[in-house]
Formats: sequence, C-alpha cells, structure tokens
Amino acid sequence: MIRVQQLLFEVEGSYYGHPYFVTGNALFNAIARRADAATRRSLHVSTGVFVPGEYGTYPDRHSQSGRAGKMGMSLQPVEAYEDLFLFRDAAHRWLKESRPRDAHNTHDVESHGGRLAFASSKRFGRPAEMRANKRTMSWFVHCYVHADEEGVVPLDADVVDGVRVGGARNYGLGELSLADSQVVDVGALDFSAVNDASTHRIELLSPYVLQSECPGADRQSVPWWWDNDENLRRRDTRFVDGVDVYDVATVDHGQVVGYAGDDPVSTAVNGVLRVGTHSRFGFGEFRVRSASSDRVPARAKAGAVRADGGDV
Amino acid sequence: MTRTADEDLDDVETVAEPMVAVYRHDLHKMRGRSHEAAVDVYADVQVNEPVPLGADRDAALLSRLRGEPEETVSNHKSPYRLSLLAGSTPRPDDPGPSEHGLGFQDLVKSSDPEELHARWVTSDIAGAYHESMFVPYTSLKHHTLLAAALLDNYRAGHGFDDLYLVATNPGDDDVTDVSSALSAESVVPHRTVLWTPEIALYVTVEPGDRPAARLGDTPAMSFADTWSRLSGHPLDVGGEERWRMLDAELRRIRSWSTALAFIEDFVGLHGDAA
Repeated sequence: MIRVQQLLFEVEGSYYGHPYFVTGNALFNAIARRADAATRRSLHVSTGVFVPGEYGTYPDRHSQSGRAGKMGMSLQPVEAYEDLFLFRDAAHRWLKESRPRDAHNTHDVESHGGRLAFASSKRFGRPAEMRANKRTMSWFVHCYVHADEEGVVPLDADVVDGVRVGGARNYGLGELSLADSQVVDVGALDFSAVNDASTHRIELLSPYVLQSECPGADRQSVPWWWDNDENLRRRDTRFVDGVDVYDVATVDHGQVVGYAGDDPVSTAVNGVLRVGTHSRFGFGEFRVRSASSDRVPARAKAGAVRADGGDV
Repeated sequence: MTRTADEDLDDVETVAEPMVAVYRHDLHKMRGRSHEAAVDVYADVQVNEPVPLGADRDAALLSRLRGEPEETVSNHKSPYRLSLLAGSTPRPDDPGPSEHGLGFQDLVKSSDPEELHARWVTSDIAGAYHESMFVPYTSLKHHTLLAAALLDNYRAGHGFDDLYLVATNPGDDDVTDVSSALSAESVVPHRTVLWTPEIALYVTVEPGDRPAARLGDTPAMSFADTWSRLSGHPLDVGGEERWRMLDAELRRIRSWSTALAFIEDFVGLHGDAA
C-alpha cells in the first residue's frame, strides 16, 4: 500500500511567497512545527498548487465524467492514476468553458508597501457604467503528503488546519484553512492508460534539482531515462533551512521530455512520490503520459474532427 | 506540412495586398459593428476583407473557443477589452469609438505592410478592444498581430505545425513608437506579435538559439502549455520577484491574445518604465 493523503486548503489571507506554488518546504515547516517527532522525521510534502474555487468539468482522461459543480472547492474521486493530477497543473484545464476561465485562473496582485502579494479571493466587479455584480471567487491550495513510517499519514485535521505559509505570517498573511482531505492508495489505482501506451512522455510538475548548495546534497545529472534533444529550461531557486538560504539549480517545471525507460508504471509511481535531491520537500514531481495524448484538450478534439473531414 | 485552412478559405482573394488586408480585417470590431454591418471602404481604403489561407480563423482558435460563442462575462456589453490585471477596461474614461477616427485611420490607412505592422505592434488604441463580446478578456490588437504572423508564415509555404513561439528580451532597443519599431532589430515585420521593453514574442519557423517552443499540430487555446515549454527564460525570473509572478501567471492563461495583452498590462504596471 502506497498511502498518500491529499489536502485541499482555502486561502484565508493574502499570500506573500513563492509565486509558482506554495513550496513543499514552506508547507512542511508549517505542518512540522505542530506535529510529533515521527511526522517531522518522516513526512514528505508536495508543492501546493493554487486552485481557483470555480465550476469545472472532468477532463477526458479522468475516471469520472461530466460536470462537477464547484470543482475547485473540494477534492474529487481518485480511481485512476490520471485522477491524481486534476489539480496539479496550473493551467487547470478542468475549468468550465462557459465561464471566463483565464480570469478565474489568474491571481489578483496586491501591493503591500511595494511588496507584491496574491489576493486570497477575486471579486468580479464590473466597469462603473455596468450593472453591479460582486461575485467573489476564493483561492484554494492543493498538496499531498506521504511518509516513510507507518501511522504518520493521514495527518489529523487539527495539525494542518490553520497553517500559515509565505512571508509576513505574523501580520496574518498566508493562512490556510483545511477544506478537504482524502487518503489514496496509489498502488491500487488503475494504470491502464499508462500501461496501454507504447511510447510515453514525462511532464515535470515541480522543479528537478541538478545542484543544491545545501550541506550534504547530491549533485545530479539529467536522468538517463529522460529522452530529450532540445535544451531543457533551467531555473535557479532557493531552499530555506531555518536562517540559512541555499542556492538550488533546477530543471524548471513545465518542461516535457520523452521517456527512455522500460517500466512506465513504476516510473509513474515514482513520479508521484518524487525523485532526486530535496524530493521530500516537493522537488522532482512528474507525470507520465502517453506520447499520443495531447495536454491541450481542444487540440486533441480538433485533430479528431479534421480527420473525420468535419466542419471546425 | 499540414495547413489547417479549409480549401474554400485558401481561395480568398483580397482587393488590398494580403499582408495589408490582414491589418484591416477587423476594423468593424473597433467601430462597434457586426461583421454583417461592416463597411467595405473606410478612409478611402478597402477594409473588413476576409483574410486568405485561413489565418484569421486559425488566429481566432488560438484565443477563443471554436463553435457558436457563448457569453462568458455577463454585463459587459462594450467593445472594450477587460484587463485580467486590472479587472476593468483599460480606458474607462474613454470617450467612445466615434472619437477614435484619427487613431483608427492610422491603423489601416497605409498601404505599406511593414508600416501597418509597426503601427499595430505599438498601438494602445487597438489594445483597448476585445475580439468578441463573448470573450471580453481577449485583445483585438494581439488577435490581428497573430493573424498577420500566421498569414505571413503560411504565405512563405510553412504550415501551422512548423511554427514556434520565440521569446527574447529586446535589449537596448528603444521600444516606443512607430518609427522606433520600423528601425528596431527586435521587430521583425509581421512575425513580432508582442513588443515591450522587457520581452518580445515572435511566431516564426526560425527559432535559432533563442528560447522557443513549438506551437503544436493545430491552433488551440494553448498559450500556457506553449509558454511553460519554452527552452529558456526570456525574463529574469532568477533575479526578480515581479518576473516570477508574471511567469507564474502566464503558465495559467490559455488564450493567446489574452496572455499577450496581460504581458503588456503587467509590463506597463510593473516594468522599469512604469
């Protein structure tokens, strides 16, 4: 049994922190200071992906189908491997088409004395000459945890509810309240879509560490099972350990490479549990996809329509 | 090579030279008129002509859904674009389309394709309008520039699936007005679809060693996907928080013209020149 606990938080205050996601390190430290020694010793925490609390429709490659109401405000059933990633891609392709998706999926930026922070909610006001409409959308954060030791996961709600992340926490910023939690056995999921594909791609969902200035951290090369001819985009980031800040060189998340290994299902599981240096704190998460499936749903549909000679 | 245009669209002939016609094809949207009610001649030049080789349709598919449009934002019965960044129209104090006569003429009057491109890529007026009332966060300016970039590439014999998004920093180029655009190295006629002091974007078949990513097999609302696959960072995301924030937001935006307008708005508000 590979037990993973998914956590969905509602963002209660402005967030002044890492803009791509809440780092796994920030979430780990926020949880660890309220948890017991076994948890501090053995907990692994993913990055926290920002999720708009909005209406959605299950993507084609999900075990469920149809509409799901305000999808972003609760965790959805996980039966197949693909279901794990519903909220793990910032493009949030599940957002309903009949709503202004890009407006829902971009953060409002607030300036706090020149420091730029993300607002915790988004109000859909209208220009002055328009009729008033003050609909409010809340932001959520999705992460998942697993542990090396038995009995650590699932975490109790009171350990995770109300954690604070990002900067200016003493001023009330970055508070997360627990909205939903569920435990998933990754080993029991349906991997048939991965199994059935003859060739695969790997999509990096969090940065992969090449080099870290942290004491004892291993320098790593690009894994042999990544098949890639083109340049991989690098990004330098930092890892904070108490008062110490270490430079970390990574392959940036969002990059897509071919898969040159021969055991895609095991690789897929490893991608959920993450690989490489600092993987305990969110680095090295990836998804395995069939090379013939397109990440962009409309493109997959368009190809099918044209192949049928239909009208687009 | 695949081309996404239908056969009947391949046959479109325009009175104006095609690379001129593409910059004049959506004038009716700025004038608040439907396609059916559009005039043929404005300021003594041919306008609102269909764009050859399906470039207009393909550009539209980059930024909005195919099929019958649905209203996505209620209560926005206005030709003005809604800014994702500001949550309002960029020109709330604007006196209205009728006052824009002179500005509109500058965007269509020239018969020199390169001058028209330079006018559009530096235009504030065009960026104040959306592509469609149904999707008011889109940008007419960037739709037109994308249509021109596709048409220019198609006319050179390239298919959609040959194309790359290329992203660079314009360096020391003076990013200001039409004359600077006409002389700047960072402006490639028709291929430059965004030109700001911090970042320039191109749609081209020649990425060279610049940060680039393929556009994919067919046009779709794929900006976030394409941006996050770029082979390098055009912005200083290692150094400055504001560029990390912009990068993070661009990994979320799926509509191309919405994303390009978002970059312009963001650079205008948070860039060095702001």
